[in-house]
Amino acid sequence: MAELTAFRFRTGASLLHKLDVRFKLGFLVLISLAGLKAAPLALCVITFVLIAVIIDTRLPIKVILKELRYFLILLLFVFIARILTTPGSTLIQIMAVSVTREGIYDGSLVCWRLVIIITLGLLFVSTTRTSEIKAAVEWLLIPFPFFQGKRVATMMSLVMRFMPLILDQAKETADAQRARCVENRKNPLYRLRKFAIPVIRRIFESADKLAVAMEARCYSENRTDPWLSSGLKDWVALFVVICLCAMIILI
Amino acid sequence: MIIAEQLRMTVYASLLAALTAAGAYLAIPIGPVPIVLQNFFVFLSGLLLGSRWGFASVSVYILVGACGLPIFSIGRGGIGHIMGPTGGYLIGFLPAVYIIGLISEKGGQRVIFDIIAMVCGALLVYAFGVPWLYKVLAGKGMTLQKALFVGMYPFVPGDILKIAVAVPVAKALRPVIRVPGSGFRIPS
Repeated sequence: MAELTAFRFRTGASLLHKLDVRFKLGFLVLISLAGLKAAPLALCVITFVLIAVIIDTRLPIKVILKELRYFLILLLFVFIARILTTPGSTLIQIMAVSVTREGIYDGSLVCWRLVIIITLGLLFVSTTRTSEIKAAVEWLLIPFPFFQGKRVATMMSLVMRFMPLILDQAKETADAQRARCVENRKNPLYRLRKFAIPVIRRIFESADKLAVAMEARCYSENRTDPWLSSGLKDWVALFVVICLCAMIILI
Repeated sequence: MIIAEQLRMTVYASLLAALTAAGAYLAIPIGPVPIVLQNFFVFLSGLLLGSRWGFASVSVYILVGACGLPIFSIGRGGIGHIMGPTGGYLIGFLPAVYIIGLISEKGGQRVIFDIIAMVCGALLVYAFGVPWLYKVLAGKGMTLQKALFVGMYPFVPGDILKIAVAVPVAKALRPVIRVPGSGFRIPS
């Protein structure tokens, strides 16, 4: 499976697992909005809270880090790009490239924020069942008569289902073409075309099979979803999160 | 049969949204706006699904991202990202895919109309993206000139390449998928 395997539901009995999914969705939006412009001190606070929550949910950190290694490499690229492109007082000079103090500060701040947002998403997805997310989206779309909530929710879960399929298929085709010496062709247009057409065609064929399978199983939009209920602990959690966000903004 | 076709289009639209997300995952981070394959798949949604279903596909993509799942460029997600510097491009995808689908439908899938459609779509994405980038980063010494330099000019060669690839890809894939009620010819 491809890089996204880290983002899947993991069973557990922690506080985050028990909270209502609608509240969790709200927390996610609130914290990511507040964290957008957070100062380093506020980022420290969020990080501590997140570490506490991660310990509480008992996520297998080592496994997740291993699964996210490509993302970590990407993060390193972002960091290096920031260091080299931000102007400021020079710290080290290698050839024509200079490493600036502002660049290091700016780069680490950007990467820190990225890590926090990824962790938030990871916590949300790994403590919430897909069917619950679906039900929450339907609930959110009730006030909008324009949207057909059920269909949108189905499409969203289909999107999540297709992601690993696409990445797998792309990898398989790339490997097959490499085995047939596609690297000898230098024309990017030729290579992109010869890569994109079989990949997308195969993915469409498997989507077609899925549609037939859904039809054969009498799929309809009229079906029962998981029951959503909120209790006292959800409201307490909401209060805590609002306090946290206020603190982040004010610091 | 109507229901079956609707279901098939629902699955296809979700598939293109997922492809868009996969395209965003393969992003090359340069400056505030990274190079992505996202818009290639947005072009393709318009060409393959037509205006209505293409629009549905892109809206689902944005909605999934807004829910906090990491499917925007370089694995980011959340409402915060839509409000951020590159949010305008995401919003711009919506009118772009609609226009691409519309022109392509009206032009009867001829290559020249497909190219015109995609050029219009690409321009629309920039028409939303660049002013948004300028507006969000205006406090940090961003001028309109600079916004054009970081937010548009570096991507134009990439877009030309993407359009050049999208034309044969759409041509090869149209016989595979059949879109009812969108004005596209249905191959027998």
